[in-house]
Amino acid sequence: MSNSPADKNHVSVWQIAKAVLSAFMGIRKKSDLEHDAATLKPAHVIIGGIIGGLLFVIGVFSVVKLVIN
Amino acid sequence: MAAVHGDAHGHEHDDHHPSGIMRWITTTNHKDIGTMYLWFSFAMFLVGGTLAMGIRAELYQPGIQILEPELFNQFTTLHGLIMVFGAIMPAFVGFANWQVPMMIGAPDMAFARMNNWSFWLLPVAATLLVGSFFVPGGAAAGGWTFYPPLSTQGGLGVDLMIFSVHILGASSIMGSINIITTILNMRAPGMTMMKMPLFVWTWLITAYLLVLVMPVLAGVVTMLLTDRHFGTSFFNAAGGGDPVMFQHIFWFFGHPEVYIMILPSFGIVSEVIPTFSRKPLFGYSSMVYATASIAILSCVVWAHHMFTAGMPTVGQLFFMYATMLIAVPTGVKVFNWTATMWRGSMSFETPMLFSIGFIFLFVIGGFSGVICAIVPIDIQVQDTYYVIAHFHYVLVSGSLFALFAGAYYWIPKWTGRMYNETLGKWHFWLSMFFFNMTFFVQHFLGLAGMPRRIPDYNLQFADFNMISSLGAFGFGLTQLLFLYIMINCIRSGDKAPQKPWDGATTLEWTHLPTPAPYHSFEKPPIVK
Repeated sequence: MSNSPADKNHVSVWQIAKAVLSAFMGIRKKSDLEHDAATLKPAHVIIGGIIGGLLFVIGVFSVVKLVIN
Repeated sequence: MAAVHGDAHGHEHDDHHPSGIMRWITTTNHKDIGTMYLWFSFAMFLVGGTLAMGIRAELYQPGIQILEPELFNQFTTLHGLIMVFGAIMPAFVGFANWQVPMMIGAPDMAFARMNNWSFWLLPVAATLLVGSFFVPGGAAAGGWTFYPPLSTQGGLGVDLMIFSVHILGASSIMGSINIITTILNMRAPGMTMMKMPLFVWTWLITAYLLVLVMPVLAGVVTMLLTDRHFGTSFFNAAGGGDPVMFQHIFWFFGHPEVYIMILPSFGIVSEVIPTFSRKPLFGYSSMVYATASIAILSCVVWAHHMFTAGMPTVGQLFFMYATMLIAVPTGVKVFNWTATMWRGSMSFETPMLFSIGFIFLFVIGGFSGVICAIVPIDIQVQDTYYVIAHFHYVLVSGSLFALFAGAYYWIPKWTGRMYNETLGKWHFWLSMFFFNMTFFVQHFLGLAGMPRRIPDYNLQFADFNMISSLGAFGFGLTQLLFLYIMINCIRSGDKAPQKPWDGATTLEWTHLPTPAPYHSFEKPPIVK
């Protein structure tokens, strides 16, 4: 909902990645969280989440391959 | 957003609406539609419950007493379909209709007319489903998962079920689009995403899951339909198809569906527990994250329903590991609810009792889920009563108990009247007792090898089946007490104060009178 021009400048791929990864862990510093909530748009998080999900699948699959071998 | 609110404000004198039956047929008001969803789902709960009573009456003792095997299979199939698609899912949509606009400070749902249509499709679908008992050959009898080849061989009842599922799916997709649009576009000024009540968050994520998987279900039932009537062989090995492909497609819908039925329960419980602990929810953001993580994980675990269908070891291990990992975000949630209660000024009104009952029993269902996820164990318990016990712990003491908690929690806001607290507590304790009596013993039956979907069984299973059936009759009768409590509350309950729960902090309690007016938040509240 916050779409003032100043906020838009701060979104980087790294910030989205950090937000999504910490979401997977369930742990995030409060100040970072508030910054995310103010700057990230739902589309950022959804696309980041889908990519994170794919990485997760590849990760689990790699573990399985390792176990089988 | 301003335009939306401005428009709604312009209709503030437009309070005259048709009366009698036309009010309900033509209504676009989210509260009216929410009420219809809730009554519809309760009616379907009673129909599905009656089928359950039939099943348990037949299983009361060994031998065939009441239901012929064919009719018994129809009962189990329709019990599952009606409870999933007719009772639990519409009940949550009912809660969303009532609560989402009030909790985010919106005047109504985004697409009010589509909202009316998505409700009125439901009675049509329910008529097809229930009516299929009376067509030649009877209702579908291949189980609620309608696997081929049974579902390609059934009679007219299967076709009616397919059309019914199509219509229910269309209704769910429309409802979800409506909920997503409402939440993303109609929040009051200051209501940022991370200030939204958790019930709204869980429904937002659930709605995305619904939009993702309902078309998959529609696709698979359409393939089934063309296999049955138009000469295709998607699932027919003789024609080059593969019946196991049906299972993959069905469960790609079916497993997220499980979470569709549980995430809104998490939302309700996350509203009730802080209120009656008089503390803010512990770890709000981790709750949001956990919900999103569960939603993502739910899309990559589907084949754990199919370990015995034949699968490479790599596949078995992948789905086993991924499934077990779901316990992590779920554990985060249970930890947070417990931490919310820790050192809170707790009181134990009926909504709180049902929420605590939810946590206690849902954890049992969750653990038995992890047990079923382990491939070698699953191969032993597949299609036994252990699985029946597992998913009833998740869906009855999970989803249904949370729905009861929500109903008791919000009924004062909806009707302006209080329910009878003593009877509410009786409802909880009787439900708790009879639920465990019904389903706990089914773990033992499953471990001893009793298969599901059979009307007759070996003598060794007799005692536990008798206990389970007695518990089921008690549980069924107890739900009539819930109906009495609700009708009694609506007709002659004591007048409710504006905020009967002193720990409640969401907008519907802090910014609206009780009962909530027909048109609320025509002017959006300012959220700080």
